[in-house]
Amino acid sequence: MTVKTEERHAQLELCIPYVFGRLNPGNRKQFEAHLTTGCEQCSGELSGLYGAIALMPLLLRQEAPPSGVRQRLLSRISSKKPDQPRNERPTPQREKIAPPAAQPGHSWYLYATIVLGILLNIALAIWVNQLVGTTASRSVQIADLTSELHKKQEVLDFLKAQRIEILPLAGVDVGSGAYGKLLLDPDKRSALLQTASLPAQSEGKQYQLWALKEKKYFSIGVFDVTSEKVNIVRVMALPAGEKQDIEGFAVTLEPKGGSVQPTGPVQLRSATR
Amino acid sequence: MQHSAFVQKQQHDREDAELLKRVQRADQRALSSLYDRYAPVLYPFSLRMTGSPEAAENLVQDVFGQVWEKAASYTSHHGSVYAWMVALCRVKAMEKIRPTTQKRKGQEDEGTSPRGSSEIEQKTAVAETIVTLKGYTEEVRNSLRSLSKLELRLLELSYYEGQSQSDLARMLRIPLGTIKAKMRRGIQKLRQVSAQEAK
Repeated sequence: MTVKTEERHAQLELCIPYVFGRLNPGNRKQFEAHLTTGCEQCSGELSGLYGAIALMPLLLRQEAPPSGVRQRLLSRISSKKPDQPRNERPTPQREKIAPPAAQPGHSWYLYATIVLGILLNIALAIWVNQLVGTTASRSVQIADLTSELHKKQEVLDFLKAQRIEILPLAGVDVGSGAYGKLLLDPDKRSALLQTASLPAQSEGKQYQLWALKEKKYFSIGVFDVTSEKVNIVRVMALPAGEKQDIEGFAVTLEPKGGSVQPTGPVQLRSATR
Repeated sequence: MQHSAFVQKQQHDREDAELLKRVQRADQRALSSLYDRYAPVLYPFSLRMTGSPEAAENLVQDVFGQVWEKAASYTSHHGSVYAWMVALCRVKAMEKIRPTTQKRKGQEDEGTSPRGSSEIEQKTAVAETIVTLKGYTEEVRNSLRSLSKLELRLLELSYYEGQSQSDLARMLRIPLGTIKAKMRRGIQKLRQVSAQEAK
């Protein structure tokens, strides 16, 4: 398909909204169709734009994900094979070697060998299957333990901070006896939450920690409360901006995965600054 | 003159391309190496986009899972492996955080429809970008100091939160024309830094 020069220039204007995901479906489809024509101007423009905006994440403080993520990833991919390139010629598969057909005159030990071979293969398959099952189960256990160890290490690392501010959180329902403490590291802009006597969340629910800033709530993260009386939650990042701007903190009970804004009852609350 | 960190970064790009070829051959250690390099960048990026550590962890897993499965869809004309992964991560994050907004605003001409399934976006996610090289990251940060606070804020709101320019104009009570001009200038400055490393 030939594209006129003027049209290319017009399409060039769509590159920025396209990169930011701001074209409506119709225009997007049209633009992508244009790209398939091999317009070098637009491809070059897009390449530059993608390269430019990929700099944005570098402005954030680098932080490795918890070690459990790697374990879960490796266990997830272990059962999958990467896709092969579409244009690559399929590797010629070896022709399956069929057992020789019984021919008149073949001796009985030929049949015995085939039967024995089949039985051995079945036994081997069962053994391998069991071995894979055991290995997978051990891998999950190791991943869980590693994740737990990482969490503990994270807490210890957090406590090494030079400055830590402690902010008490009081239970809204006085009769529940629930309380908490928020340990804040102002230098790393992270927080460690400890709660006590919060009731274990019901199915499909999770607790969520919020920061109140300019009268708006910002999610810091969701967490689970186990049956333990004292629960230490992992280190979480504080929202961007000056810490002094944070007016207070609150813990609410939300649907699993958290909410954009608090929807459930407040369980714990800090004094408002 | 090229900064040494930019030269190092180009070396990283070559190594990444090699690692990705090994991933195509189902080499888990190669994926692990890519993970070591880029997870510390993609995790805070995911955290910034989703606002939740759990969702960010899942997102990082999804991105590297996709790298594992779709490594073959990457070719040299996609640009650096890092830029490709950042594009994958953003697309997946937008799929997670914007499904309802996408439907609601999808008809706006400058609407909020993330191109989640857009193969072309992934294919054209070119760029020699950065990574875990601390020196390089520092140089990028220094270079980006030329962005004004407003330019950076607009880019962040648009890039991380998918805000449209008209939303930004309403929210910040700034004329739409000014928003467009500031964003263009911000993007232009980013491009200058990006072009510097590509030299």
